Amino acid sequence: MRARLTTLSMVGPALVLFVVMLVVPVCLSLYLSLTDWDGYSANPAFVGLKNYVSLTHSAEAIRAGWVTLLIAAVGTVLLSVFGLGFALLVNGASRLNAFFRIVLFYPHVLSALVVGFLWSAVLGTSGVVNGWLTSKGAEVLPFLSDPTWALASLIAVLVWAGFGVNVVLYLAGLQTVSKDLLEAARIDGASKRQTFFNVTLPALAPVVTVNLVLSLVTLLKTYDLVVSLTGGGPAGSTQTAAYLILWDSFHNNALGFGSAQSVVLMVITAGLALTVARLRARADRGVQA
Amino acid sequence: MSALRMPRVASVQFKPFKAKGWGRITFLVVTSVLMLVPMYLLITSAFKSQQDILQHPFSLAPDQLTTEYLRKAATNPDFNILKGYAVTILFVVSVNVLSVALAGPVSYVIARRSERRYRMLLLLFVAGTFIPSQVLVIPVVYTLKFLGLMGTIPGFVLFETTLTLPFSIFLYAGYILTIPASLDEAAAVDGAGKHRVFWSIVFPLMKPAVVTMVILNTFSVWNDFVNPQIILGPGSGLYTVTTGVYAAVSQYSTDYTVVFPTLLLAVAPLLVVFVLLQRHVISGLTAGATKG
Repeated sequence: MRARLTTLSMVGPALVLFVVMLVVPVCLSLYLSLTDWDGYSANPAFVGLKNYVSLTHSAEAIRAGWVTLLIAAVGTVLLSVFGLGFALLVNGASRLNAFFRIVLFYPHVLSALVVGFLWSAVLGTSGVVNGWLTSKGAEVLPFLSDPTWALASLIAVLVWAGFGVNVVLYLAGLQTVSKDLLEAARIDGASKRQTFFNVTLPALAPVVTVNLVLSLVTLLKTYDLVVSLTGGGPAGSTQTAAYLILWDSFHNNALGFGSAQSVVLMVITAGLALTVARLRARADRGVQA
Repeated sequence: MSALRMPRVASVQFKPFKAKGWGRITFLVVTSVLMLVPMYLLITSAFKSQQDILQHPFSLAPDQLTTEYLRKAATNPDFNILKGYAVTILFVVSVNVLSVALAGPVSYVIARRSERRYRMLLLLFVAGTFIPSQVLVIPVVYTLKFLGLMGTIPGFVLFETTLTLPFSIFLYAGYILTIPASLDEAAAVDGAGKHRVFWSIVFPLMKPAVVTMVILNTFSVWNDFVNPQIILGPGSGLYTVTTGVYAAVSQYSTDYTVVFPTLLLAVAPLLVVFVLLQRHVISGLTAGATKG
């Protein structure tokens, strides 16, 4: 009895907090997504799957969905290409490499909000780059004021701020490539290119997969940077799913509709994150084998 | 626990590419310059006038430089940066202490007991890492309102702590498994209670895992924007560094003598921590990135 109480006192506090602040809210989201609640009224009406149906008709939500997918897809490819490319370049024990690794990583330390404000001061219509161009008599470039440019700028800043993490992950992966195989390839006279494509890359396959899915999961949740870099504009062209969800829930008072969008985003990211967990488990077993 | 197996890259000897040539170095130097230009602009522009920022963004003539704007930003009536630091540090410390106080014991139980229900408990906690916090905060607002904690420091700290639990428990439970159970059994024979055994025998041995989590939690609480913005809200009069920056900067987004000094003051503490503890910070934050 005493022992059970002790165990309970060790498990209880964390479990209660977790249930109150995470399990209950997730269930609440599921429930709210089936209602027409505006955030205030006492009796929200149960509307079944109506919010999910209107989600498939909402031009705004569909655009935010596509924008998010585009950011996630393009961003993921760039993060992995830069991540692996630079990992190969800065792999090695020299001081210089250590310095480069720090320089490539440092933007990740800054909050996404600050990164966005910083880049909007640099790229904005009256920003540093355009101010400098104007003083040189050149045309102003619409980095953040043209829909296509703004989306490209957003992705570029996401990659600038994030690929250092991918570099570190790929560096960790590179340490698992069998030295014996690399040595054997060298003795057999394989070129660097052949060694990379036939020895290094196959050995890195699990790390590549993990990097791809992790970047995808992270980018699907892009929010802070949108707030500070573009504010979702121009004309809503850079609104991501997370941005629209918070907007609908708190500014538009469409909490039921916002919750339906949240549930869809949760299911997608949870599904992808589960995939990562599986792949990691497999990759870890591969490393141990 | 893969996160702990992050090798120290600096100790690695082999190189798949013997690209020691100047081409590689030149390319990396050019990239480093591109990476550092925004930081250079952030730091130098904090000491310049609006006109100099726009006309000579890259120049660093000493007669242009002044600490006037930095001092103005530090005493901005809309955003008292010192109060912002104090509030944020309070949150960082509270979340770290509470997180380890709650996650430590439960991880110990999970790691040392083999019953099925403890494995299910671990699964339940780990499932929490899959919920995006930007979306979770919406229903949490209503949970906090129900508890009367909306807009309060305890409400915010409790939610922020909850966000740290899944990954902490995953990391700690895995780490405790590597600590021989014979150590705590010996202490138990000597009559020490479970809590005592955990805190005085096991906990001191968990230092690497705790350091990783403290770094991760410190950076994520300091940099968090959406949660303090929504839970504390503009009405509470409480702002963290990020929500304060948002209030100060979004209003004057084209007055760069406000923007750059404010942003510099916001990032300076974390950059100092990063420079001092680079390797720990890099491995801690990377471990955090892999939680998905």
